[in-house]
Amino acid sequence: MALLSETAKASTVPDGAIAPTPWQRWRYRAKVASREPTTLIGILTALLFTYLIVVPIISIVLDSVRVQFGHERRLGKDFGDLTLYYLDRAFFSPVSVDLFWRPLLNTLSVALGAISLSLLIGTVLAWLISRTDMFGRRWFATALIVPYMLPAWTFALAWTTLFKNRTVGGQPGWFEAMGLTPPDWVAYGRFPIIVILALHYTPFVILLFGTALRRFDSQLEDSARILGAKRYQVAIQIILPLMRPALLSSMVLIFAKCLGEFGVPYVLGLPVKFEVLSTSLFRSIASRQTGVAGVVAASIMLIGIITLMIDARLVREARRFVTVGSKGSMNRQSRLGKYRLPATGFAALIFLLSVGLPLLTLFLSTIMKLPAQFTLDNFTLDYWIGRDLNTVALQTGILLSPDLWAAAKNTLMIVGLASLTSGILGLLVGYVVIRTPVKALSVYLRQVTFLPYLVPGIAFAAAYLSLFAVPRGPMPALYGTVTILILALIADQMPYASRAGISAMTQLGKDPEEAAQIAGAGWFRRMISIVIPIQKGALVTGVLLPFISGIKGLSLFVILAVPSTDVLTTYSLRLVDYHYTQAANAVVLIIAAIAYLGTLAAQKLTKTNLAEGLGS
Amino acid sequence: MPTINLSGAQKNYGVNSANAVSNLDLEIRDGEFMCLLGPSGCGKTTTLRMIAGLENLSDGEIRIGERVVDSVRAGVFIPPEKREMGLVFQSYALWPHLTIERNTDFGLRLRKLPKEEREQRVEKVMQALDIAKYRDRYPSQLSGGQQQRVALARMLAVNPGVLLLDEPLSNLDARLRLEMRAELKRIHKEFKTTIVFVTHDQWEAMTLATTIAVMNEGTLQQMGTPNDIYDRPANRFVAEFVGSPPINILTFGSSASAMSRAAAAYLGERYPSLRGVGSVGIRPEAIGYATKGGDVPAGSFTGEMTVTGVLPTGGSWILELRNDNETLFLTTNALPRVETGSRVDFFAPSDALHVFDKDGQRIAEADALLRASTLN
Repeated sequence: MALLSETAKASTVPDGAIAPTPWQRWRYRAKVASREPTTLIGILTALLFTYLIVVPIISIVLDSVRVQFGHERRLGKDFGDLTLYYLDRAFFSPVSVDLFWRPLLNTLSVALGAISLSLLIGTVLAWLISRTDMFGRRWFATALIVPYMLPAWTFALAWTTLFKNRTVGGQPGWFEAMGLTPPDWVAYGRFPIIVILALHYTPFVILLFGTALRRFDSQLEDSARILGAKRYQVAIQIILPLMRPALLSSMVLIFAKCLGEFGVPYVLGLPVKFEVLSTSLFRSIASRQTGVAGVVAASIMLIGIITLMIDARLVREARRFVTVGSKGSMNRQSRLGKYRLPATGFAALIFLLSVGLPLLTLFLSTIMKLPAQFTLDNFTLDYWIGRDLNTVALQTGILLSPDLWAAAKNTLMIVGLASLTSGILGLLVGYVVIRTPVKALSVYLRQVTFLPYLVPGIAFAAAYLSLFAVPRGPMPALYGTVTILILALIADQMPYASRAGISAMTQLGKDPEEAAQIAGAGWFRRMISIVIPIQKGALVTGVLLPFISGIKGLSLFVILAVPSTDVLTTYSLRLVDYHYTQAANAVVLIIAAIAYLGTLAAQKLTKTNLAEGLGS
Repeated sequence: MPTINLSGAQKNYGVNSANAVSNLDLEIRDGEFMCLLGPSGCGKTTTLRMIAGLENLSDGEIRIGERVVDSVRAGVFIPPEKREMGLVFQSYALWPHLTIERNTDFGLRLRKLPKEEREQRVEKVMQALDIAKYRDRYPSQLSGGQQQRVALARMLAVNPGVLLLDEPLSNLDARLRLEMRAELKRIHKEFKTTIVFVTHDQWEAMTLATTIAVMNEGTLQQMGTPNDIYDRPANRFVAEFVGSPPINILTFGSSASAMSRAAAAYLGERYPSLRGVGSVGIRPEAIGYATKGGDVPAGSFTGEMTVTGVLPTGGSWILELRNDNETLFLTTNALPRVETGSRVDFFAPSDALHVFDKDGQRIAEADALLRASTLN
């Protein structure tokens, strides 16, 4: 070892308080940092994520202010010159209403409606589940979270199956078939989107608000009661103010989710030209308006970032309110008395509406020849396993269609590979963030891997398209390849993967590894014998969670996938576009089943309630 | 193991933060049982981790014998795994996924010892620490005391020249702690290792260490044998930190109490060179008392006070005396013949006085002076 030869330099420390020179300090630090690969790995991953996360975002922001291909002549400038044309077009031109302002208003109104409705239902359910003697509380606690485990547009498809009217061609909806034509406002647009998003995000409120309620120190309640406050006074003056952070937080999160939601407005909004920001962005991209797409995507990102910054602020504020008492936080129950049965009925009704009905509708639609005709001869398994059907295309049942299996294979390969990679990268990032002696590196890695969380998936996909659609430097054009999907998925899943890695490494602490170091183990030995074996469980979770959210993910794929790289979600959407209702519904059911069973498996494996950590 | 030398060792966590350890010079000789003693946050654990190489220096140098293992100025850093030391963590840090036996032989496997020798050494150390019967269990199946012994065994198995212990007894109950203290002393003898031990418990330090280094706010206050530390504290911090009940301090100066003024006068009259000192300390067990009219030894510092508390501690008693706003504690092994409210004369021989200057540093020249007068 070269280090060992530097002996007997004891006299290099002079007396007095002269500090070591900056050069000496730097050299020493470099020596400490370079003796292990931790810092090297950190630098490499930081570079990787800069390229996979930061550069695409910068690229799409630049797109919005630079002349795009095909507009050179109209703008009288060269490709790539700076221009305000796209900003002007999106924000101030006559078409700006269609491109940006109306979609923005629609997004806001949908989000607002969904938030109000889900708060209304969610708070009541959260209270019933966590603080009352309602029948079957434990069962409902899990059952009412199920809607969040299923892809949101599952419900959209169920809705069209029921309410579709003659505005749109193809197989009629059940009500139409029974002779009751639902008006357009029921069948499409704002109203159904609000209802569906509300039902889908109610679990958010139940989880966040319920946790806050359970942690609430009942001694605070008791003190007020002892001083003579009535029950409603306690509720209004004590409980509600203390629950405010949880409520605000769930509102903000639902808003952020609604902002990026694509599948539901696509299925339900398109027939009546009801556009939200995400569908407007999709349309701009589909019609190759790259510049305007850049503006819209950047706007969505900006709104997303602002929203989540507000949330971070609220969470900080909420710490002032921490009321976790060791003794008082026991789960106190209110007796519902004569309302016990009606309350249970309400919870059951919500479960039926948000899980039972949609899934049953979808399932029935896949085994019925004609909608809403409940006679025995109308039932068939042809749509699942039929052969030589008398149809123009898709002449076999969906399970026998090679397209489905190709899509399933693609899904497994793309999502599986991406999840595996992001799971491993997440653990590596966690390791570096916690262990590196270079603090700036730790902070940068932590923040850059969190960045995609602030950017709605559809905008992120647009950013990827902007960067990788054309060859840049040594990178060939990636549009239409599996690679771009995998890269985008990895980047999109990094917030969850790195958070899992960081928390696992934090929990592990330094001691076990330092003990191995003292015992004489070098870096690789410590990784193989100590860190990885102990973190096995965290690694499994870090792979499984992104896998589930990737399976039901739609917004990334809808922009980046082409028919040859179809995954299950885009395949089903394509079937929707062709009006193969039964087949589309069958595929969605398959996705829902995989997502649900996967979540259950993950919960079993980690013995925790993962619904909280699930982002889709 | 050659001598370990820290010179000018310094550690701060960030440019603007205060030093966790500042300008520390420490020498740990072969075979020593050294204890780093101080209140929490005094930098003792940081010092231990710097010696192990788990903490980097901000300035200064660490040598083992003539070999520099850590130096900011020379740009040398030998990583922990190459320093051949043992460290027992406060949390024990046993590897949860390995059995007790695999925990214990981990270091030996790394050193690629032949299987027979490895088994022999593991057997020996497991027998010595009485954990052989748990060899196939996992750490989570053991009690705190058993885990602690495994942590020790794991380090002793590789026979390190230096064994570093970071408050290893703090998680044990009183009885186990006593047993483990005896165990550590036995290990020190049997394995002939140098031991550096961090604790905030003065009794642990006094009973175990051959040398104690008292630290406070990142600086070394005093280094010496347990007796040195107790009988000749280098400054007021050491005097007040070591000893229970704590030493009585009478501070002189313009706002001094009547009792303090009396003490100042006592010193000033008999030893003109001690006029203008800062304070004087008297250990509780060095103070005697006499009921009204009783004998007070000639030449001792004395005064009249009221008994305000008689606190039995089982086998001995603490007496609380008050006069105006000054409180003195004294301990006695004889059943007190006074009760609350009695007036008594307390007395302390002159050689029981610890004299400190205005900065709180011990005035060493005073010792000879005060002792000489008692002999006369």
